[in-house]
Formats: sequence, C-alpha cells, structure tokens
Amino acid sequence: MTEPTFKLARRMSRLRASEIREILKVTARPEVISFAGGLPAPELFPVEELIEVSTAVLRQQGGSALQYSTSEGDPRLRAAIADHMRHCLGATVQPDDILITSGSQQGLDLTGKLLLDEGDEVLCESPTYLGAIQAFNAYLPSYIDVPTDDDGMDLDALDTCLARARRARFIYVIPDFQNPSGRCWSLERRKGLLELARRYRVPVIEDAPYSELRFHGEPIPSLRALDDGTSVVFLGTFSKILCPGLRIGWLVAPPPLLERYVLAKQGADLHTSTVSQAQLAAYLDRYDLEQRLENVRETYRHRRDVMVRALEAELPAGAHITRPDGGLFLWLELPDRIDSRSILERCLKANVAAVPGGSFFPNGGHENTMRLCFASMPPERIIEGVRRLARVLREAMDGRPNPAARCHRPNRSDQAERLGD
Amino acid sequence: MVNGDKDVEILIDRSSQIPIYRQIVARIEEMILGGRLPEGFKLPPERRLAASLEVNRSTVLAAYRELKGLGLIDSHVGRGTLVRAAHPATDHQPSAGDAPGRTQISWRQILGDYQPRIPDPLIRDLLSLAERPDVISLAAGLPASELMPLETIRGLLDTLLTRVGPAVLQHSPTEGLTRLREAISRWLVSRGIPCRSDEVLVLSGSQQGLDLIASELIRAGDEVVVEEPSYIGALPVLTASGARLISVPVDGEGMRTDMLAAILDRRRPRLIYTLPTFQNPSGAVMSLERRQHLLELAARHQVPVLEDDPYSELRYGGARVPSLRALDSTGVVLYLGTFSKIICPGLRIGYMVAPRPVLQQLVLAKQASDLHTNTLGQHLVERFITEGHLEPHLTGLRTAYSAKRDAMARALATAADVLRWQAPEGGFYFWCRMTRRIELSRLLGHAADAGVAFLPGASCFAAEPAESYVRLSFSFPTETQIAEGVGRFVEAVRCTAEDPRALYPEAAGTPPLV
Repeated sequence: MTEPTFKLARRMSRLRASEIREILKVTARPEVISFAGGLPAPELFPVEELIEVSTAVLRQQGGSALQYSTSEGDPRLRAAIADHMRHCLGATVQPDDILITSGSQQGLDLTGKLLLDEGDEVLCESPTYLGAIQAFNAYLPSYIDVPTDDDGMDLDALDTCLARARRARFIYVIPDFQNPSGRCWSLERRKGLLELARRYRVPVIEDAPYSELRFHGEPIPSLRALDDGTSVVFLGTFSKILCPGLRIGWLVAPPPLLERYVLAKQGADLHTSTVSQAQLAAYLDRYDLEQRLENVRETYRHRRDVMVRALEAELPAGAHITRPDGGLFLWLELPDRIDSRSILERCLKANVAAVPGGSFFPNGGHENTMRLCFASMPPERIIEGVRRLARVLREAMDGRPNPAARCHRPNRSDQAERLGD
Repeated sequence: MVNGDKDVEILIDRSSQIPIYRQIVARIEEMILGGRLPEGFKLPPERRLAASLEVNRSTVLAAYRELKGLGLIDSHVGRGTLVRAAHPATDHQPSAGDAPGRTQISWRQILGDYQPRIPDPLIRDLLSLAERPDVISLAAGLPASELMPLETIRGLLDTLLTRVGPAVLQHSPTEGLTRLREAISRWLVSRGIPCRSDEVLVLSGSQQGLDLIASELIRAGDEVVVEEPSYIGALPVLTASGARLISVPVDGEGMRTDMLAAILDRRRPRLIYTLPTFQNPSGAVMSLERRQHLLELAARHQVPVLEDDPYSELRYGGARVPSLRALDSTGVVLYLGTFSKIICPGLRIGYMVAPRPVLQQLVLAKQASDLHTNTLGQHLVERFITEGHLEPHLTGLRTAYSAKRDAMARALATAADVLRWQAPEGGFYFWCRMTRRIELSRLLGHAADAGVAFLPGASCFAAEPAESYVRLSFSFPTETQIAEGVGRFVEAVRCTAEDPRALYPEAAGTPPLV
C-alpha cells in the first residue's frame, strides 16, 4: 500500500511524540530500573476481589452488563462515587453532578474540547502535568505558567497573570501531591485561589488523581469542597487507588456545564465500558475501599521513605529533592548548568530511567529538573536505581559545565515571541 | 504624561532583528502593563507617532492593530485611541440571574466554539418513551441481550484474572495490546481485508474513531461529504468540529457516486464518510461498481474516505461485496470496525485500520483523549477471537437476526398502504418511507398511546428531508415483540394519517422560517 494521499490538520503538528512515550519504550527492558512511568504497583491490584465481583455481576445482570449504557454512567457507580467524595475527599456532591469518564485523561480532553478555542489562555502551575498539556494542546491554547512554590501557586503572581490575561479560560491545578512535583497546596492558598477565580470569573479545573494517597498529616479539603459548587470542575480517578486498566475516572461539574460534558462524552465514545463500571460499582459495594487505601498508602509511604533516604545518602551536593507527603512522585532539581536530557541518556546506559523535567513546563525551560516515581519499584530496586542515578549525577556534576545545557535555557527573544503569539 | 498630545517616548532599535512595529507594540504594552499609561490615556494619533519616530504610518497602524488585538487599547470615533480598563471583569454587568453580592462564573460565556448539538426535544421524548417498561422499542440499534456470549465471557474473565493476573488491570499501550492488534489483523485478512497489525489502532468503541478523525482531520469550515441519510451518531460529531456537511443521496445501490463526482469537480471536501455495507439507517449495500467509482474519485481528488463498517458480518442473504479497504490500492481509505454488534457493546472495543503515518498521528490524539482503551476488555476480545469463539458465535447471530428480520418483514407486509420498505440483506434496520408526509409530533403522540418507540428518519439527515421516513430496528426485541411492536406502530401511523391536522399539505413544501 502506498503512502496516504492526504494531510492531517495543522493541530496534529502540535502533538509531538511525548518524551515519556519514548522513554517508556526503553524502560520496558527488564534490566532497566524505571522511575519514569507513573504506573501504580500491580501487586496492589485487587485481583481476587475483581474475580469475585465479575462473576457476580455477569450472573446477576446477565446480558445487560454487556449492553450499551448511558453516557452519564452507571447510577450505582455514580452513587458510590458521591459517597467516596464525601468520606474521602470531604466534598458533598450528588450522584447527578457526576459524569463517569474513560479515565480522568478523558475529563481533561473533554474540558479542552468544551472550553478552549485557538489562542485561548490556560493558567497552570509551574511545572504541571504533561498529559494535561497534551490534552489541551489539541485545541491550540497558549499557557501562562504561574510561579508555584511548595504551598501552591504564588497568588500575587496569579492575580497579576489574571489581570493581564486577555483570554483566560480556566486555571488548571493539581492541588494534592502534584504530578510531577509532589507538592500539596496549603489551605490558605486554596481559599485564595478560589477567591481570585471568582473575582476574575475564571473557572478552576481541579485534577485530583492522588488526593486519597496522603501518607501522613491531616487531609486538606479539595477545592470542590471549599467552593460553592459554581466555579470548580473536579476530576477524579480510580487509576491510582485501585487499578488503571479499567479506565474509570469521573468528573463533577456545575449543572449547566455538566450537560455539555455529557453531550461531548457521547460524541467522544458514547459511554465508558459497561462491564468495567459494573465491576467497580460491585467492588465498592462489597469491599471497604478505605481499608484497601490504608494498604496502598502504607506501601507507597515506605517506598517514598526508601527513595528519599537513598537520595539523601547518595546525591551530590547541589541536587535538591522534594519530600512529598503523598502521591507517586518526587522532584529533583539539579544545578542550572546540568541538562537532564543528557543525564537521562547516561542513565539509560546505566539501566536506570527517570523523566527529564523540561517536558512539564509548557513554555519550556527548567531543563535542570527530573521527575522520579517512587511507587512502581520494590524497595531493593529503588535503592539500586538511586545508586545508579547518583553515580551518573556525580560524574556529570563533578565535570565541567555542560555547554549544551545553555541552549535550552529560556532567553528574552523566546519570551518576546511567546507574548506576541 | 497626562495626554496623547505629548509624544510617547519610544526607543527604536533599527539594527534589531525584531520588526519595528513589534518593538512599538512591546514598548507600549510594557508601559500599559507597568501602569505608566493609565486607563483612558490617549495615545498619539498614528500620523504624529509615525512622524516622531520617523517610520511609515502603516507601521504604527500595524502596531495599534496588534495592541487592540491584545485588548490593551481601543479606538473611539472622535476621541482617538485610548488605553483600555485593566480587566474585562470590571466591565462586566451582573446579569439578572446573579445572586446579589456573589460573583458567579458565567459558563455560557466561557464555552468555546465546540458546541455539541443538543438533541431535538422530540428525539429526547422518543428516547424517554423507549425507557417506559410497557413500550416496545423499535428505536435503538441495540444488539439482542439474549444473544450476548455471556457464558464465554464469564469463563474468559475468570481465566484472565486468575491466570494472567494483575497485568490485565494495568495500563496498556495507546495503540492497543499487541496481541489484540495481531488478532484483529489476522481476522480481517481472513475476511479478505488486507491489514498488517501495525496498521491497527484499538479504539474505545468505533465512535472514538469518528471523534478522533473529526477533531484531527477537520477544521472549522471544512466540508465533509456524508450520505443522505447517514448514521445519527456521526452527524453531531462532524458538525461539532465545525464541518459543513455536503449530503449525497443513497439509493438501492448505495451512495450516488455520479452526484459525488459532480461535487468533487467543484469543491474540495476534507473527508468522505460512508457506511457502504448495510448502511445505517437505509440498509443499502453499495454496489461493486459504485465502490470502484468512489475509490477512483477519492484517489483522483485526494479526499480520504472513512469507511464505517459495523454490520458487514451480519449478512442474512445475497452475495458478499468486498469492503472499500479491500478494493483500495492507493491508501485513501480509513477503515473503522467494532465488536459492539458482533460480540457485545458494553466492552467498548472498536478499531481503526489506517496507513501508518495517519495511524501514528491518531495514536497521539488518542493518547491525549483517553491514554488507552480498557485493558481487561482488550484481553477479553483477544481471547475471544484467538480461541476461536468468534466464528461460531457469528453463525449463531446470523441465524437469530435473520429470523428477527423475517418476523419484521412479515409484520410490515400488511402496512403497504402507509409504509414502503425493502427487507435488508443484513444489519439491524428497516428503513420505511411514509406514503404520505405526516407530522412527527402527532405520530409520536399516537405511538406513545399505542406503546411503541421508533426513530424518526429526519434525525438521520443533515437537512430536513423532503419525505417522511422512520427507522425500525429488529435487533433488540424478540420475534413476538417485533410482531406486536410493528402492529402498534402501523396502527399509530394509520391513526395519524386519518388525523387531518397531522398531514402536511401535499405540494406546499416547507414554509419558510420567519
């Protein structure tokens, strides 16, 4: 067969193969210790329980468990999620406020589809989740990355950005144990964000895949819990707390918007797998999710401890890490002159992998950072992987400044061009 | 600086690479954002600024135009060019619906250009009618629940979870599981459709294929050729992406390719969307000659063809016609398939077969849309095909659906006075033309009274059709329900036909919308 005789629309050109995609291909080799992917640990998946509920669901519901179903989602599952949000996330929502999505990635895509036109502005944390950038990129927005510290966005900076933005469509944040930085927003910053969002009438998209994975300390209410129900779209998922393969996430939106989401979802894939939804609803009905979460948190907390201790012992001076209280990721910051892309190349030769941090900044820069996932590997592999990584870093940092790193630094002409876009 | 009567101080670097107008924009922007030029400040007239900077007036015009585009300045006739207020929020007048003292997000203002079509209220009424337990639904194209391979799936699920374990619950590649892509390609090849496994993209149902193509291939204002009538679920996806639809009629031999030829001589559509085999809703099968003509036209005019093929395995009579993909020698066809009608829809597993470069782009788009299709469902379908369950299952389906089709044909045989139809050789639907044009809302009322639901034909057209059609689906109800449901429906049509208010005046046509 010959080459296709047609070209795809321009927006496709913005969708470049993500770095993570390429890295993950390499890290599939068994000898590689990978801190790159955000894969939850498979040994924690509730396999036995799913065998039991699957049999029960097919026996009780028969053919209807395999049939088409509504775009909004299984009513039992929506009710169970409303319960979960009340108990675990401190937010009161009604089952009717919920749309089941095919993973929370679909929630991001539908958000872009509904709210973004070419040239619109998305305000986001710096850094922010790469998958969200990819989902939004299809709709050709520009990004305003708001300076962010360990307590969340710098609210003065956000205020300035909102005042200057001409076409701000929404503020996208991951307040709990952010991907990639592991940071968690303080209560004050959350309240301040909502105040600004209301003042400027710009909605907030709250992406919360890691909120249930707090290792210690008191949970901080979600933005949805703090909001009056009008300005926040909440995205949740079972991918990190149960298993990702079922592809079940959910979305909570103010009613006029939710109706649009449902229609967009219908156009996108009609509905999420009936079987997966029924399995999950039955699981949540029969088993205690909270008890399971205890186990997941304990495992990940231990792995975080192992990784943090190993890094503290092995890293050369000048490298800094975050010490997240939850989630899957921690963030490594290297001296300015170090280019983490070249570090990755050396890491792969040493059979260890992580994600260069530059990909998480939609406007570029910050090439001296890396994201490490501490959740996927068992403790002994974490220790060995950190040892390999640290060896690469020591060699690189003791050496002469890497001139290549300079090329990736943002400079004034880059910024001017972005302003003009 | 109080007023634009004074010159604004702008330094221009004539040796710089940056165009002069951009330098002017940058300087003024800086002064506005820095607060040095306050709200309402009057900028110097273009001519004066041009003179003082010793640049062409058009350069200043371009700079002012860009500053307006940035929302920083506004021109007012008689008052000149003024710096705008700091933020549009301060311009906002609270609307009547706003609670006093509380700021509300106006979602209506925030929504972008993508506007999914809100279903016609009549269609909504019909769908809710179909939910009533006493109603026999001939409306939706659901496969029969009693024909779902429940036991096989239960067994496979148990085996997969027990033997393969956690991997079936983990993330999987965006393209789809390699084993499933191989199984699909082997199966397609066995049906005469050439396909390599690396040309297969596994989808979360074939609807996702429509959505990915619509959002990646089509830009607002692009034209797309659709059949008339066409699949009800495709039209809103295409129009929501901003496509303008060009309808080509379907007759007993499928799409009228002579009319397509005339269209392609004059216009440049981005896509031709067709369901060539057992078309939904008309049941038509495109003839071999038309297929070849279509491919020849598409290749000559460089317009990709999206072949949507959910029903071709459900043939109850007549000779098999090769798919467009099988006949295509130029790589112009994107082939869309699904297991929804032949295994079950609840797993949401479909697939697209496309030339590699297109496929690679669609993989990225899919990754951004939902990362990947649910892993357990993919394993199930792979096992279903590889263990040899599909062929015997299909044989069973053809027998059962063929009997249902015959039941509907028998029931409709008595309705020749009000309905004209041809029994389809495959698929799920009878497409019936009303001998008289009747008003849908009246028919709906009578059908609700009689306890039967149907799909009004108009929802399958991009524009209001000249004649009244209905689509009756025989796949979901039992043979007894089909006989009873068709009886009720014909009764409802007769009642409506006798109701003089329900008839359109024969030759008057559609009154203009005023």
